[in-house]
Amino acid sequence: MPAYANPVDPPDLGLLPTGRRLLRLWREQWRLGVFGLSCSFLYTLISTTIPFLIQEAIDNSIDTSHHQHRQPLWPYLAAVAGLAAVRWVINVNRRFATSRIGIRIEARMRELLYQAYLRYPRAFYDRHATGQVLSRATNDLYPIRYFIGWGLVQGIQSIMMIVAATIVLVIVDARLALYTAVAMPPITVLALRFARRVSPISRRVQARKGDVTEAADEAVVGIEMVQTFGREDDVRERFGDRAEGVRTEMLRQAGVESRHLPGLYYLPALSIAAVVFFGGKQVIDGHLTLGQFVLFETLLLQLVWPLEAIGWILDLAQRALASAGRTFAWLEGIEPLPEPAQPVHLPPGPLGVRFERVSFAYGGEADVLHDLDLVVEPGEIVAVCGPTGSGKTSLLSLLPRFYDPTGGRVLVGGVDTRDVPIAELRASVALVTQRPVLFSVPLRENLLAGREDADWDDVLAACEAAGVASFAPSLPDGYDTLIGERGVNLSGGQRQRVALARALVTNARVVVLDDPLSAVDTFTERRLVARLRPALAGRTALVATQRLSTVEIADRAVVLVDGRIVESGKPRDLLTAGGPFADLFGEEVIAA
Amino acid sequence: MRRLWRYLEGRKLTATLMILVGVGNAAAQTGGWLLVRNAIDEGIVARNEHHLTIVVAIYLGVAAGGWVLQATLIRGLATIGQAIVIGLRRDLFDHLTGLSLRYFSQQKAGWIIARLTSDVDAVSDTLSQGMPTLVSSVILLPAAVAALLIADWRLGLVSFAVLPPALVLSRWFQRVSHTANVEQRNRIAAVTAQIAESVAGMAVVQAFNRELRFQAEFDELNEANRAQSTYVQRIFSVFFPSIEFLGVLAMGAVLYVGAHLYASDALTIGTLITAIYLLQLVFQPLQDLSDVYGQLQSAAAAMVKIASILDEEPEVRDRPGAKPLSRLDGDLEIDDVVFAYGREPVLHGVSFRVPPGGCFALVGESGHGKSTLARLIGRHYDPDEGAIRVDGHDLRDVEVRSYRRQLGVVLQDPFLFSGTIASNIRFAKPDATDEEVAATAAAVGVDRVAARLSGGLEHAVREGGAGLSAGERQLISIARALLADPRILVLDEATSNIDRPTEVLIERALDRLLKGRTSIIIAHRLSTVRRADEILVVENGRIVQRGSERELLAQDGPFRRLAHTLDGGEPELLAAG
Repeated sequence: MPAYANPVDPPDLGLLPTGRRLLRLWREQWRLGVFGLSCSFLYTLISTTIPFLIQEAIDNSIDTSHHQHRQPLWPYLAAVAGLAAVRWVINVNRRFATSRIGIRIEARMRELLYQAYLRYPRAFYDRHATGQVLSRATNDLYPIRYFIGWGLVQGIQSIMMIVAATIVLVIVDARLALYTAVAMPPITVLALRFARRVSPISRRVQARKGDVTEAADEAVVGIEMVQTFGREDDVRERFGDRAEGVRTEMLRQAGVESRHLPGLYYLPALSIAAVVFFGGKQVIDGHLTLGQFVLFETLLLQLVWPLEAIGWILDLAQRALASAGRTFAWLEGIEPLPEPAQPVHLPPGPLGVRFERVSFAYGGEADVLHDLDLVVEPGEIVAVCGPTGSGKTSLLSLLPRFYDPTGGRVLVGGVDTRDVPIAELRASVALVTQRPVLFSVPLRENLLAGREDADWDDVLAACEAAGVASFAPSLPDGYDTLIGERGVNLSGGQRQRVALARALVTNARVVVLDDPLSAVDTFTERRLVARLRPALAGRTALVATQRLSTVEIADRAVVLVDGRIVESGKPRDLLTAGGPFADLFGEEVIAA
Repeated sequence: MRRLWRYLEGRKLTATLMILVGVGNAAAQTGGWLLVRNAIDEGIVARNEHHLTIVVAIYLGVAAGGWVLQATLIRGLATIGQAIVIGLRRDLFDHLTGLSLRYFSQQKAGWIIARLTSDVDAVSDTLSQGMPTLVSSVILLPAAVAALLIADWRLGLVSFAVLPPALVLSRWFQRVSHTANVEQRNRIAAVTAQIAESVAGMAVVQAFNRELRFQAEFDELNEANRAQSTYVQRIFSVFFPSIEFLGVLAMGAVLYVGAHLYASDALTIGTLITAIYLLQLVFQPLQDLSDVYGQLQSAAAAMVKIASILDEEPEVRDRPGAKPLSRLDGDLEIDDVVFAYGREPVLHGVSFRVPPGGCFALVGESGHGKSTLARLIGRHYDPDEGAIRVDGHDLRDVEVRSYRRQLGVVLQDPFLFSGTIASNIRFAKPDATDEEVAATAAAVGVDRVAARLSGGLEHAVREGGAGLSAGERQLISIARALLADPRILVLDEATSNIDRPTEVLIERALDRLLKGRTSIIIAHRLSTVRRADEILVVENGRIVQRGSERELLAQDGPFRRLAHTLDGGEPELLAAG
């Protein structure tokens, strides 16, 4: 066994390799990074200088009980105001620079992922649910963005601030510094604990919200069934239970918050009390000035946030590294479909198709096609029949190289599909999938998706043949009607017809139709079948179908059972032969 | 927002209590600093260590009290907030299940689901996370100002000089960041939608070599999102440092004025020092409120959309005094029914009567009103004119639920709920025993389908029935209808994707199901049409021909033309063979 069994589901990268890769991405933005860090350093310097100036102001200009003469106050205040203005500029730049790094890296990783998605093989999409693939490129990137755009620099700055404040406090009065730091360790511990406790709960809240969505989705989509059987109470109860689940987790989260957040808010009071008590005694004894007393208080209060932030940052770092580890694993561990090393071009003219001793299995599972041989002459139309699960769709998906066979080879125009440049092969093989996919663009663009420069008359002819012409003009904007979520929802049968027309519009010399009319009603199907045959003239076609009426367009039918071809011949001959084909379609079965 | 008050019913006391707790919390925070002032003036400056010790002890006590109060506030507000949310969610869902199919066909499912989930979540997040911040900040801001005035009214007035620019700045930030955030959400939604569409349609993207086009489209959206994120960050980057800057200015002003007052002995040093920290308490709520503001806005927007569903009047509902139906004989009368979805009627005066136990078939091309008629019989809509009667009762005069429980429906593409095969069969009669379910499954041949699947009848069904073939779903839905033991049956025959052996199973199951019940079948196959007592040919919302199969075939009318194309006959192939 290799390190992992499935080439489209590599294990997440470990902490170190993930860190190295994130660092590499960060280095692409090194100018902003260095700039942000320099700003942070200056910010820390100024933020410790301002309290120091105020201490001097109090001691030299306000409470002058220790000195003989009183200095003017305004130079101190002017210096503070000046430094504050400089700090404003630095702070604005610091925030903007660091957050931009995060935004850029988020956009960059999304771009890398999307590029990879476009090249991934079908097997990848069989393995991973759409929602998962989607969230990897959206929600999962946010921890990375916040960690890099905020956490990393904030963490470094927190450490600088702690070091700077400690130095100043120790210089002023080392023993008092020790006493007054009393609240700092508990704040750090509490912040770390909170970050650790709250993140699994918020994940659970998300999961429970997912349950609610599922229940809502089911009830809304299945509302006709619910109302028809008068089962409103059941779905309400089910939905109510799920909603209750969210509430429980939300309250649990509030519980954790109530145990930690007030502590973070009120623990600094311990330090303030220590300054007032111990510092106060020192002031009484004359060991400390009032200004130094204020300096202690100010710096301690300034330390609270950097200490709290460490808890958040460590939690964020964990999530960001986990998420980045998954992302990098996908980016590096999944091989796109290989292009041929020595590409061979397809010959001109009609293309034949040949399956030679083809075996196929989905990622490590049992074979669905066994040693299958099938020859389709150029220009021939072959219907592939067989019961559900017999391997029809698998057979057809080998042609545009959605998958490569695990044994044997597939030839188009006499060339092994693995030797043809992928784009050339796919331009020559038009496909209509079982569940038609249309895009959220106007109908016209959907029809032109396979050949953008197609003559509009050709498109109309294809629409006529595929039965799109019968409904398209009555859509709100005719052929310019927007399709999909934000536009018009076509019925299943209409979508199939558009997908069929789209395939006919292309120049493809091989057409692969996977049950192309299954959602079209019987009457319409009859009409379409009659028109489709001439529309396919000159092209080689493979049609998988469950319906005898669709088989009629074929010159020849083959019957697939358990991944093997068990019968082949002209449909009308097969119908009377009493073999598997007749079992599938014949009237005799009814009597049995 | 007014709607939300309704859910506070019975919790008004807790809510009031929480406001008091919030006031106490604010008092603890500001009062603490007033104690610090006292400690400095009466303890340190007066050189009274004993007093200093006492005041520090009181200070720690007040802080501990504040701790408890804040914890109570977080918990209490979350409890109230979640009670409101669950009430809202339940009401919304209940209301939805009572709306007619017309509503569900007009609104996209995704839109409705978003109201139940992401919109309610937006309200929920605001109530449970935003509310504690909102309540504490709204109380803390005036409390801090008041404490400052109490400490020294002149210093308090000085701080007022800085407050207006801070308020103006906050207001600017709220407004600008709100619009920017809305735009940001739109852009990320566009990116998400584009990725979702590409991923869902990847097979076609790749098959048609559309990768470059999609990549270009994505790059544009991703870049737009990045630009907007950068803009939002710029606003944030300016606002928070500005508040910080104003804070320093305020402190400088207080020091300046305070120093003069102190020099003329009009102020104690403790007051001056405390004023610096009280000022921080004024600025902090301003920042927190600005943070929460965006959340409040999106919650308000979500409430507006939620309200649009709650305001929708259910179209079909029980009239006052509607009677429950006792067990029906099954006499079904369609009396001169006219019905329109929009302005154009789809049914123009349809009349027929099915005697108890009778079986009528509706034939005709799709889009001519057959399915509409079936839905009227299911009372998903009420007719615009005319009436539908069962056993002589107008459907509008009976309790919907009591009628629907005696009605069975088998749809062309039956919907299966996630669960198991058994739970789907049991759907229409939740109290059925395992034996009943098994017997029903056996009666229609579901047991044979189940035998091939892991787990048999307990085989897991994913939502929508993915993984099962159309024929298998159809069989399960027939079993579901049979278990419900309805008096009247409406059947939309399956047309597609069914291999012959499964079709035979379905035919047999139907024989079993139809026995002794009144039934309306929307027929696509000759074999089904033959089973009917009478055939009604529907064209353009009218019944254009009716009679038995033989009578109709004998006439030169629409039925003969239809029969030619009805599945099952395969005239061309058979003629050739």
